Amino acid sequence: MNLILAWRNVWRNKTRSFIILASVALGLFAGIFVLGLYEGMIRARVRTVIDTEVAHIQIHHPNFKDDYDPAFTIAGQAQVSGALRTVKDIKAVAYRSMTQGMLATATGSAGVQINGIIPDEENAVSSMKKKIIEGDELDLKKKNGILIGKKLADKMKLSIGNKLVLTFTDRENNITAGAFKVAGIYQTSNSPLDERNVFVNRATLNSYLLIGEACHEIAILLVNDTAVEGVKQSLQQRFPAYSIQTWRENSPETDLMVSTINQYSSIIIVIIMIALAFGIVNTMLMSVLERTREIGMLTALGMNRVKVFVLVLAETVILTLVGVPLGLLSAWITILYFSTAGIDISSFAGAAMSGFGFGSIIYPEFPIASLQTVMIIVVSTALISSLFPSMKAIKLQPADALRQ
Amino acid sequence: MKTVIDAHNISKTFNPETIPVLAVDKVHLHLERGEFTALVGPSGSGKTTLLNLIGGLDKPDTGNILINGVDITLLSANALIDFRLHNIGFVFQSFNLIPVLTAKENVELIMQLQHSKRASIEKRVRALFQEIGLEDKMQTRPAQLSGGQQQRVAVARALAPKPQFVLADEPTANLDSKSAANLLDIMAKLNQEENITFIFSTHDARVIERARRVITLVDGQIHADTAHVETNVAHEGFSTNK
Ligand SMILES: Nc1ncnc2c1ncn2[C@@H]1O[C@H](COP(=O)(O)OP(=O)(O)OP(=O)(O)O)[C@@H](O)[C@H]1O
Ligand SMILES: [Mg+2]
Repeated sequence: MNLILAWRNVWRNKTRSFIILASVALGLFAGIFVLGLYEGMIRARVRTVIDTEVAHIQIHHPNFKDDYDPAFTIAGQAQVSGALRTVKDIKAVAYRSMTQGMLATATGSAGVQINGIIPDEENAVSSMKKKIIEGDELDLKKKNGILIGKKLADKMKLSIGNKLVLTFTDRENNITAGAFKVAGIYQTSNSPLDERNVFVNRATLNSYLLIGEACHEIAILLVNDTAVEGVKQSLQQRFPAYSIQTWRENSPETDLMVSTINQYSSIIIVIIMIALAFGIVNTMLMSVLERTREIGMLTALGMNRVKVFVLVLAETVILTLVGVPLGLLSAWITILYFSTAGIDISSFAGAAMSGFGFGSIIYPEFPIASLQTVMIIVVSTALISSLFPSMKAIKLQPADALRQ
Repeated sequence: MKTVIDAHNISKTFNPETIPVLAVDKVHLHLERGEFTALVGPSGSGKTTLLNLIGGLDKPDTGNILINGVDITLLSANALIDFRLHNIGFVFQSFNLIPVLTAKENVELIMQLQHSKRASIEKRVRALFQEIGLEDKMQTRPAQLSGGQQQRVAVARALAPKPQFVLADEPTANLDSKSAANLLDIMAKLNQEENITFIFSTHDARVIERARRVITLVDGQIHADTAHVETNVAHEGFSTNK
């Protein structure tokens, strides 16, 4: 009967009940959506980092990263590549040479990282080719072709076919320079990266560096993300002399970003929950105050405090039980829609996002992993908020309440 | 005769710190089983306060109230709620019923709070609705009942838990004279046929007429009591029982 009473009370003031139900649904929806958005951003960022920036695993000479001295090539490269071919988790491998240098045109200069690549090899490991927005990818036959980022092109006022000079030191520490011709311009979602990295044919770069067929970096793409630690461990065991690092180590800023975003999303969820709590406390308190006489009468007739408490609480519980699936469903449908359609934020935050290495279109993902937590948070917020009105109800003195 | 209410020297002051109002002033009250008593007096004389005290809805500042031998002034708040549930029936002036429950459910609610068995609830509720002549209105919500019908349902609800006595604070105040008479008929019948003890406050002369005992309160004190008409009050010429 208590339940029947609570259920009918729910229907008593439909607007008020709707407000609570909607608050719960909206709170859950917003919580899931925010998480979904962030999850989508993180995944996209991680995807970009792996696919266009650092692959899953990189192998270097242990001293190479200190100051990119071209002398620190990977010795015994043939042996390594032979071994890599036997690991079944590995999807593709690219051998790169690289050095730091200066890019100069008639009008200015800029510091760049020069990456020597073999286009076919590179395309198997990274999706850089897809990011070319003007011109073509590198061609083995055109020895002096160079790929530069959009940001750098804009800054140096370079366009397809323009000439530029790269200056750097070879393995003997002699300064050397080469003339290149812009073959293509690429643009990734990471603009600082675009500004710094230029790509040339490996053979060309190697001949300037005087390192023959050697390379400085072996980039490894795996079949799936989860294998990364295992493969790293086994490679490290076999080749203890090399520095072998995963994308987390090679892109620590991404790792940091992931944890920063997680913190942001918790803060936003806390804010949403505070709003939800206020909504419920206010509405239920109003509902209790409006029914002061009635609750006083029930107490007078002999309904004990526990039952009065449960009666008021049950209203919120019922509304929460209806609101939760509604919130879940609407969040799921919305995320499902936007996970393919994407949310284009370029109009108001695109540039800022790209500065942090995020794309301007976010594809939210349903945050399965944190779903349970969000649900628990929403439900407990709703219940805790209705404790206060329930307390108010049992504090009513029947004689006073009936006088109203 | 069995004593149902035995109140000794009870007083109640409201707002003792600010503007004290002595609402009930050293009242002694003794009620036997089967009495049909009206509590009368001018507005503000303390009728509601006195009924609240003997109904265990409020605590007196001094004195003791024994209901069926139990001193309710000594009960804890929780025990008092439980005591009310099992021993006292209440009929209030208006808005007695829970609007979202049907007439039947309103009556059942009390018995369910008492954890009565389903079958016995069903039987008793049916019998009570027969008594109050509203068998055809059992499934009706209070809003669809007239004021008089609502009060009759309230009487049925008060009786459902088989209380020691029924307290009614101005039960006819919001009723037209015909409904008031009808309610009194039912209460009087229950009193005579089933020996149910009633104490009710009222302003209505026609209701006072029906009482077998009339207690008059003035300024929180018992000014007259027809139970002692012959001995105490007759010489003051106070007789409402005529
Ligand atoms: N909660 C309260 N706080 C302060 N004063 C109160 C309170 N309840 C009652 N009083 C005062 O106590 C006195 C008695 O009030 P009570 O309601 O018992 O009178 P009553 O006889 O029932 O009056 P009425 O016929 O108008 O219902 C009045 O002066 C009233 O103002
Ligand atoms: Mg009164």
